[in-house]
Amino acid sequence: MSMILYHGEPNGPSLAVLAALAETGVAVECRPIDLLAGERHTLPGIDHPLARDMGLEGEGPVLVAAGEAMTESVFLAQFLDETAGGAGLQPTDPYAHWDMMMWCRQITERLAPAASLLGNLANAQGPLAAVDNTKFAAITGAIVNDDLRARWQALHDDQVDAAQVADSETKVDQAVERCEAKLADGRDWLMGEFSIADLETYGWLAGMASLRPAAFAAAPRTVAWLARVKARPSVAAALARATTAEPLRAWAPGPEINRWG
Amino acid sequence: MSDITLYHWEPNANSGKPMLALMEKGVEFSSHYIDMLQFDQHKPEYLAINPQGTIPAMTHGSRVLTESTAIMEYVNEEFAGPELMPADAQDRWRVRWWMKFMDQWLAPSFSMFGWKFFVGPNAVAAHGKDKLEEAIARIPLPERQIAWRKAVYGLFSEAEMAESGRRIGVGIRMLEQELGQHQWLASDTYSLADVNGFNLAYAMPLSQPHLANDEVTPNIMRWLRAIYARPATRACWKLGRTHMASRVAILEQDYIAPKDESEGISSGIRSELDSGALSR
Ligand SMILES: N[C@@H](CCC(=O)N[C@@H](CS)C(=O)NCC(=O)O)C(=O)O
Repeated sequence: MSMILYHGEPNGPSLAVLAALAETGVAVECRPIDLLAGERHTLPGIDHPLARDMGLEGEGPVLVAAGEAMTESVFLAQFLDETAGGAGLQPTDPYAHWDMMMWCRQITERLAPAASLLGNLANAQGPLAAVDNTKFAAITGAIVNDDLRARWQALHDDQVDAAQVADSETKVDQAVERCEAKLADGRDWLMGEFSIADLETYGWLAGMASLRPAAFAAAPRTVAWLARVKARPSVAAALARATTAEPLRAWAPGPEINRWG
Repeated sequence: MSDITLYHWEPNANSGKPMLALMEKGVEFSSHYIDMLQFDQHKPEYLAINPQGTIPAMTHGSRVLTESTAIMEYVNEEFAGPELMPADAQDRWRVRWWMKFMDQWLAPSFSMFGWKFFVGPNAVAAHGKDKLEEAIARIPLPERQIAWRKAVYGLFSEAEMAESGRRIGVGIRMLEQELGQHQWLASDTYSLADVNGFNLAYAMPLSQPHLANDEVTPNIMRWLRAIYARPATRACWKLGRTHMASRVAILEQDYIAPKDESEGISSGIRSELDSGALSR
């Protein structure tokens, strides 16, 4: 049974999964879709659309395997690694594995919603506001998940919560600080060995360098690490799939901001 | 003596996940009960283990582990005993997908009801509001301070409660649908997703009697009873000290009929609060 990966421009979770795919060499057909045109919500022939609709990641990539729509970039990367019989993207030692999963959870729970909010306001809000009402209604009408539809609507209507923006900036800064601390002992990769943590963190953080340069000013190790990740053949291959000049500016509504703070 | 210590509250929600995982694996551990309603989790002894002041946490030799779901994965990988992850990669993906969905979307909604109707009122009854304010001021995580203030002063907004109520309804329907596809939540193998899900869902027939019962959600009821029948589950829930954990006994009933929403969490727990039956 052949697998299909529907992905957006190489940024955020789409970038992480495209790079994981290249690392693992699993046979998957890649189909680029325009996330900001709502194409993720009209994928053909999926009879069990649960994950596509209710995944927390928002407009992340969708991997269709045996008719099942699979989402959540960290778990897709793990799936690809395990399908390849262990391609070296996850530590085999249980404690190191725990560390990687903890790291990825911090990134997806704290950095991802923050980066997504800032990235969308800076890059997607304008284009989305320009979409005519009939077309926008058609896009949101196809979104099954009430929460995700509300995030599309808020972005379209330019509802900006200043407190959330400030909080998101802090969270991006904190993520950079966390990377800098992790890399302080001179290691090349976040977990020591290269892993999904590098891909997931890079996916969300790379686009912040232009949006929030101050966060990186005192973080030379993180800047060097970003360059190392970018130079990985898998990441270069993922970035080469871009159909726009600046894929790191391609955003679509992402994860929601944690409700408990 | 075991070199594993689990710091936990009731077999319920986040604490119950690693408790039940350890018991399913047959791993011996020292149980260190943290009384959340006495704010044990913010005392210096515990902050030395987990500076965030949240439970659960586990120590294994010199290692300190936090985050309930990640602890469960560690327990499964580190120790011998029955495998709690399926062998197939896609089944494993499904385990992880459901655990994230429950941890970060569904459980916070349940938890809002739990905190409004159980944690907050109980803490007020036990300590009084003045003492509580001092206790809250000592909480390290700002977001936990917010949650405690809302619970203690009854500040959860109607919009928040309605939103959580909506999510609970959606989540229960999704669980029912998924459990119609396989024997266990994520596949035909008992897994961490079931351990996780049981901790979230075991009392649903009491707290959401209109949404979870043998008429509306037969698959959920089959699933809950099957997990309750496991020796590890019985042993785990015996470690409970409050009324909250003893609610699990509802699963001994062979048939649970639908009841009105008004007989659910708010009224049920409140009336028991009044009669002082909540804590021993
Ligand atoms: N994501 C963490 C959450 C831990 C957490 O917040 N636990 C709650 C109890 S379920 C807690 O420690 N509350 C104590 C407090 O807020 O004072 C996990 O899954 O372990």
